[in-house]
Amino acid sequence: MFGTIIKDIAVLAGISGILAILLVIAERFLNDYGDCRININGKRDITIKGGNNLLASLGEKEIFLPSACGGRGSCGTCKCKITEGGGPLLPTEKPFLSKAELEDSIRLACQVKVKTDVFIQIPESIFNIRKYTSTITEIIDYTYDIKGITFKLEDGEEIDFKAGQYVQLISEPYAKMKQRVSRAYSISSKPEDRNSIQLIIRLVPEGICTTWVHNYLKVGDRVNFTGPYGDFYLRDTNADIIFVAGGSGKAPIKSILEHLAVVGIERKMTYFFGARTLKDLYLTDEMKAFEKIFPDFRYEPVLSQPESGDGWQGKTGYVMPYFKDAIRDPKNTEAYLCGSPGMINAVCNALTDLGVAKEKIYYDSFG
Amino acid sequence: MKPTSKELTATQRMQPGVITLSGFLGSDTRALNEIIADDAAMLERLGHDPEELADRMEYFTRTSWSSYLDEELIEGKYKAQTDVYRGKLPCPYGHAGLYRKAITRLTNMQNGISVVWTSLNIHLIKAHCFFEGRGSAFRIEPETLVKALFE
Repeated sequence: MFGTIIKDIAVLAGISGILAILLVIAERFLNDYGDCRININGKRDITIKGGNNLLASLGEKEIFLPSACGGRGSCGTCKCKITEGGGPLLPTEKPFLSKAELEDSIRLACQVKVKTDVFIQIPESIFNIRKYTSTITEIIDYTYDIKGITFKLEDGEEIDFKAGQYVQLISEPYAKMKQRVSRAYSISSKPEDRNSIQLIIRLVPEGICTTWVHNYLKVGDRVNFTGPYGDFYLRDTNADIIFVAGGSGKAPIKSILEHLAVVGIERKMTYFFGARTLKDLYLTDEMKAFEKIFPDFRYEPVLSQPESGDGWQGKTGYVMPYFKDAIRDPKNTEAYLCGSPGMINAVCNALTDLGVAKEKIYYDSFG
Repeated sequence: MKPTSKELTATQRMQPGVITLSGFLGSDTRALNEIIADDAAMLERLGHDPEELADRMEYFTRTSWSSYLDEELIEGKYKAQTDVYRGKLPCPYGHAGLYRKAITRLTNMQNGISVVWTSLNIHLIKAHCFFEGRGSAFRIEPETLVKALFE
């Protein structure tokens, strides 16, 4: 009886082994798509080995489309237009694409397997996105759950970004974490610091990347990131400016203000920072210091739940009621908002009620 | 009951470090379909269905979401607050769409019961009757949830 079981197991193992070898051979010969060409914007050709997905194939050639999930088909951010090739639309892509995008041949690059030549269209700004290796030079505890981390680029590299843009930090395996994940964080330093960037990162409960940043990263560690990404940046007009931020949403506004301190600005600017309690405020002195640098700038921290022992004498409640004192001509006012979607929604409504045009309100809603 | 291939894939994606730090199963030694079956049976005994619970959770999240900094007093006896963090999470079952990293804290002031859930919890309960495994960071006991939402 026992001998028969052993024999059956051996036979099964043998068959499985043969099947596995056949699969490897099939993969090697039948799925050999050879070299494939990816034509980008009708201008540039790259040649890659066929069989991989488009996102990874572009990444091999240092062309980085935004991707928050690392190519697992779960974030829907690696969209690009495919004008030829790419095979049929997959069920895994459809839910992430709008009707207009479907009609415009937009696909998810991580789901498109490159088996033949492919013609794609991507924004020119993508070519500025690169992968960087850096060393951590400073970690500052801004609050109980927010840190500022400075990354110095290695090998004398420089990064070219607009104040307000973000990068995607790539976590390394740690503790029980076997996989790398990449997550988006706004750059909080000025673009003039070309060989380093600072990120302001709030700890997310159960967050894989933020736990790594907060609990495992230390000065001297090497970290990879890609970027810059995003279209949240200051428009070059003469309009008055309202900045509104909460939590780690301070990052891109800090970058913009530090940049403006270098290049100079005459525009009227008011910056509202909403927080619950005094312990949620940070960089207050640094932001107040801009009042002496710019000709017409005010920094207004507003606490919604100041605690009795805080001794807080500043503004309280929500930020919205204070807008009307800051807006002198709503038609000539732009707003730049960074924070939670609830905050963005409430602030957008308040600003439009006061007459600020919707198309002049720019925001990063923690997407 | 033998798990389906879909359940096996979901189980893999619920492991620590795949979607969240500690995963969705905690220290629970039961198979995914057993966890779901046990909670579904409990819910039936309590006279509620997952969709009803999820809709009520969604209502509290949506209402407190609009008040982005403060606790919201709802229906005179609930305190709800939703904190939103940067980023979104996918469903471990591979459903399309992403769920914001939003955490709602609800206190029923009448009976003193507090519960915490994420936007993904709402979807997992509604679509899969999955309340997470015992010992996971966002496990919600159906009985506690029912008491918090309906008593």
